[in-house]
Amino acid sequence: MLSSSTGSRYRVRGARWRGERIDWSGYAFIVPFLVPFFLFIVAPLAFGVIVSLTDWRIAQPPEFVGIENYQRALEEPLAWKALGTAIRYTVLIVPSVTLIGLVLAMFVNQRWPGYGLARVAFFSPYITSATVIGLVWVWMLDTNSGIINQYFGVRIPWLTSTTWSWVGVSIATIWWDLGLAFVLFLAGLQNIDSEVREAATVDGASRFQAARYVVVPLLRPTLSLVLTLQVISTLRIFSQIDLMTSGGPSASSMSIVYYIYQYGIQRFDLGYAAAVSMLLFVVILVITIAHRRLIREQI
Amino acid sequence: MAAKRVRQWLKRRRMTLLDVPLWLLGMFAAVLWFAPFVWMVSTSFKPPEDVITPTVEWIPRTVTLDNYAVVFERPIFTWAMNSIIVATVATAAGVMTGALAGYALARLRFPGKGTFFFVLAASIMIPAEISIVPLYIAFLSVGFLDTYPAIILPMIPSVLAVFIFRSFFLSFPSEIEDAAAIDGAGRIATFFRVALPLARAPFIASTILLLTANWNVYLWPVLVTLSDEMKTLPLGVAAFSPTVGDFVRLEGFGPAMAAITVLSVPSLLFFWLLQRYFIEGFSRSGIKG
Repeated sequence: MLSSSTGSRYRVRGARWRGERIDWSGYAFIVPFLVPFFLFIVAPLAFGVIVSLTDWRIAQPPEFVGIENYQRALEEPLAWKALGTAIRYTVLIVPSVTLIGLVLAMFVNQRWPGYGLARVAFFSPYITSATVIGLVWVWMLDTNSGIINQYFGVRIPWLTSTTWSWVGVSIATIWWDLGLAFVLFLAGLQNIDSEVREAATVDGASRFQAARYVVVPLLRPTLSLVLTLQVISTLRIFSQIDLMTSGGPSASSMSIVYYIYQYGIQRFDLGYAAAVSMLLFVVILVITIAHRRLIREQI
Repeated sequence: MAAKRVRQWLKRRRMTLLDVPLWLLGMFAAVLWFAPFVWMVSTSFKPPEDVITPTVEWIPRTVTLDNYAVVFERPIFTWAMNSIIVATVATAAGVMTGALAGYALARLRFPGKGTFFFVLAASIMIPAEISIVPLYIAFLSVGFLDTYPAIILPMIPSVLAVFIFRSFFLSFPSEIEDAAAIDGAGRIATFFRVALPLARAPFIASTILLLTANWNVYLWPVLVTLSDEMKTLPLGVAAFSPTVGDFVRLEGFGPAMAAITVLSVPSLLFFWLLQRYFIEGFSRSGIKG
């Protein structure tokens, strides 16, 4: 009796999976992560799909409406306007951040005198909060007394006109976001063997040629990472808009997330807000998958 | 003689004469990039009548602390305390749960591990903004709005922390842990006594990444805090914005700049002191609140 019970316990402890002993404690290790992960990342996504199919307001019980919210989103002119603004933000911010980030990283990578201070300067905005970015740029971009207009001797209404508001928000965003692209490029450049570059110079290539034909191609994976991260983060833009323009004037600087916030949550039209969120999710999903494909083809 | 010295000076710094204009241009860009911070601090010390001047004045004519006095009339310390509580608890929980899960993924064998890893990798594609509506409904219906758990809980799970620890343990030899296991220590004891103390690099990297994100987080706290006493620092300070709709109160810029100086200087100092760790940490990936 005694020996058989010991035997069965031994069998469980020595259970195998794919020829290896199972570490049952593995589950104890992942549970503390898994519980909040499912509650706050996976479950909300599933719940969001349900909410998006209902007319969900705070005052009355939710009512199932099928795909009505999605149809409404596709018919709402303001939703299309937010999408158009999002595309404008992407077209201005993404190339600017990528290009300036790359050039500045190449400069700092030369390790000329003062490169340490330059590195601090280029990365500093990235670690400060949206409130700092928003308020300092509202002041600098002020039409009458802002330092930018004063230096250029112009009176551009950066944040208060429908033509310029998205440009004003973009300037602040470029200043804020550049730091990440900058350090990613810097890390990418440091990974490129300095011997490779020297070999190119010995072969008679000018510094510009070496940069164009040796460094940039080797930097491709970093470039693609920076582009993808920046496109996604630009599509998710919210806080600086809330702080600088509240989406205005006349919704001219309103992003998709701001639209979700203002027209969904603030007006308690939660089912509709969830539907727009899902549409945004699909867009981001497509971009991420396209990025992965692109990377795989290159390798 | 002078030419020779210049040449030597340049050579020691791995530069040629042609590099000098590029170098100056680069350093000018650095100064330009940092200028908004200088302008912020400069404005914060100016009395109202000097804030708006016909020409740009970088150095205040008279220095006053009045703007800071205005800022400290508001419950800055309460907001700072809230931010400290929120950022510390969320970061500690995120790093610990991430370390445990990352260790399991790298070292332990159990059925379902592959699925777990796949779900985690796929979840990176879910931006936090997608979850705000359902999460808001959930917290509203359990009556949890305007509490610390409402702000903190959704910030805890960090897939990035899991991946940082996983890749560290994958490339780190396991001999020391094996020795501890032979001595009879269980997996969990081995993790806490042997593995975790060795994982200094991923610990620092994930702490810095999460602390920065959790200190700056804006959208989610905006939604779930209702009272002034529950605001975090970035939210509280945002109220100093001189913009009211399309109208800007010009006299509000002094206090606004003082408020964001108070908000940004601690994180900037923190970054300058731990620069190397910040740059290493952030070059691993990008997250932001």
